[in-house]
Amino acid sequence: MTAIVVRDLVKRFGVLRAVAGVSFSLAEGEVTALLGPNGAGKTTTIEILEGILAPTSGDVRVLGADPRKGGRSWRARIGLVFQATSLDLQLTVTEALTLYGGLYPTPRRVAEVLDVIDLTADARTRIGALSGGQRRRVDLGIGIIGRPDLLFLDEPTTGLDPEARRRLWAVIENLAADGGTVLLSTHYLDEAQRLADRVIVLSGGQIAADASPDELRLMGGLPVIRYRLPAPAPDLPGGLAGHVAQGRLTLPSHDVTADLTALVGWARDNQVDLTGLEVGPPSLEDSYLALTSAPQPEGAHHG
Amino acid sequence: MASATARLPGLGTVLGAQVRYQLTLLIRTPRALILALALPGIMLTVEVTQTKHQVAKSLLTAEVSGLIVFGTLSIAYVTYAAGLVAAREEGILRRWRLTPLPAWGYFAGRIVAAVVLADASGALLLVAGVALAHLHLTAGMALSLLLADTVGALALAAAGTAITPLITSVAGANPVLVFTYVPLLIFSGGFGSMTLPHWLTTAMSYFPVQPVIHAVSHALQPGGGLISARDLAVLAAWAAGCTVLSVRYFRWDPYRPAHAVQAPHGRT
Repeated sequence: MTAIVVRDLVKRFGVLRAVAGVSFSLAEGEVTALLGPNGAGKTTTIEILEGILAPTSGDVRVLGADPRKGGRSWRARIGLVFQATSLDLQLTVTEALTLYGGLYPTPRRVAEVLDVIDLTADARTRIGALSGGQRRRVDLGIGIIGRPDLLFLDEPTTGLDPEARRRLWAVIENLAADGGTVLLSTHYLDEAQRLADRVIVLSGGQIAADASPDELRLMGGLPVIRYRLPAPAPDLPGGLAGHVAQGRLTLPSHDVTADLTALVGWARDNQVDLTGLEVGPPSLEDSYLALTSAPQPEGAHHG
Repeated sequence: MASATARLPGLGTVLGAQVRYQLTLLIRTPRALILALALPGIMLTVEVTQTKHQVAKSLLTAEVSGLIVFGTLSIAYVTYAAGLVAAREEGILRRWRLTPLPAWGYFAGRIVAAVVLADASGALLLVAGVALAHLHLTAGMALSLLLADTVGALALAAAGTAITPLITSVAGANPVLVFTYVPLLIFSGGFGSMTLPHWLTTAMSYFPVQPVIHAVSHALQPGGGLISARDLAVLAAWAAGCTVLSVRYFRWDPYRPAHAVQAPHGRT
């Protein structure tokens, strides 16, 4: 079954084109990341899929329905975590989960959700007294309490410290393991690589790539030779010296054999140990930067 | 995963939960309690203590009536509308809009909670009036007062809902709300009768505050009774008109700062 179908989606805000002809579909049970820099069109796309915004043109179906016309039963199948925390600070964690859970046909038990979001110890604490990371987990708890068939997560870890991010990742991984469909927007590469089966890179309101994280790495172009130089290091041959930054050689190579031969020859001549030398595909970051720094189509929004 | 065929909870259950939720929020908001309960109570106590044995019972009745309406305005208009703006700007309304809760369910919960607290405020002031100023009170008068206060709170909450699209930030809520209700309360005689031009007195009779003051005062008069048909008609017209405006213009999504134009509406 297909959870989401998007065809030729366009969204304009006045003269600005935030989404410029996006098409993709998501299968049920898939965890997909929408990746892109600020202004790429991630949140606009998600808000159209949630039914908050109307598209300027194009066709969108979410769980078989037009999101703008989805009724109570449709909304009961959707879970949401917005980009910004949206909680009543006067309620306790348990009160908030109980309140929202009461809207759904077969909600998860509050104790189960508290366990999943790791807030059992703070169940009776008012949300206003929680840290930013804990509040974000309450947001997530509300998003999942209705056992959604489809969960939208809009930059769920933005602004969190590393430990809070990893805790939230663990929660999302648990959800994905239960077979839920998740559409996650993020501008963190490590988050996309860790959580997603598939990454859709948006740039300037268009899809720049649609692939698995591993495939995406290979789309970045040339294989890369990486080597941390000893300090002090003898001068490298001319063809390699220009690719050293902060004591590290990072060389996108058109001819790996020739470049390695030059590097090994230099090492032998200067009696340098090559332990740590790596040859491999470009990193996800290399690929991402290559994809999102490509020239944008005319009229697309750059934010 | 959710079952597409499972039945949603009944609307009565959902509405009950919404009323409890909104009452919890109000009770845990100190500003609401101070404005609706503490301030009118303190004002009544000071007034009665200072003027005891010096003013006629009718004047004390008018003062109690004015303070009851002040409490009702505070809770059903100012606190209600300010809370709605805050919920909108914090993204809470947007979240509710995307849950299976019907839109009317959210408003019903919020309005019923405001009416309950306004009625509770009126009841406390009445008890204080009886205890401190020995106001004469019968069961019929209390029921008339309850009806007047409830109808007034409903009309004021409708007006509070309708004005929220004009308020673009939480910081702007109180100035706008106070600016719109304090003159009405003063010119309508909420803090004592005033000598006003005829046109102004006539104009006030078409706004929703004076009819509530009339209805509450009338209920507390010995031999008084239910809200008059004219006052009821004015309040009903305000409630209906504001509901129509709200259906058309009410905003669920936060206003975005102007500097977010380059990234449209702050979206990325």
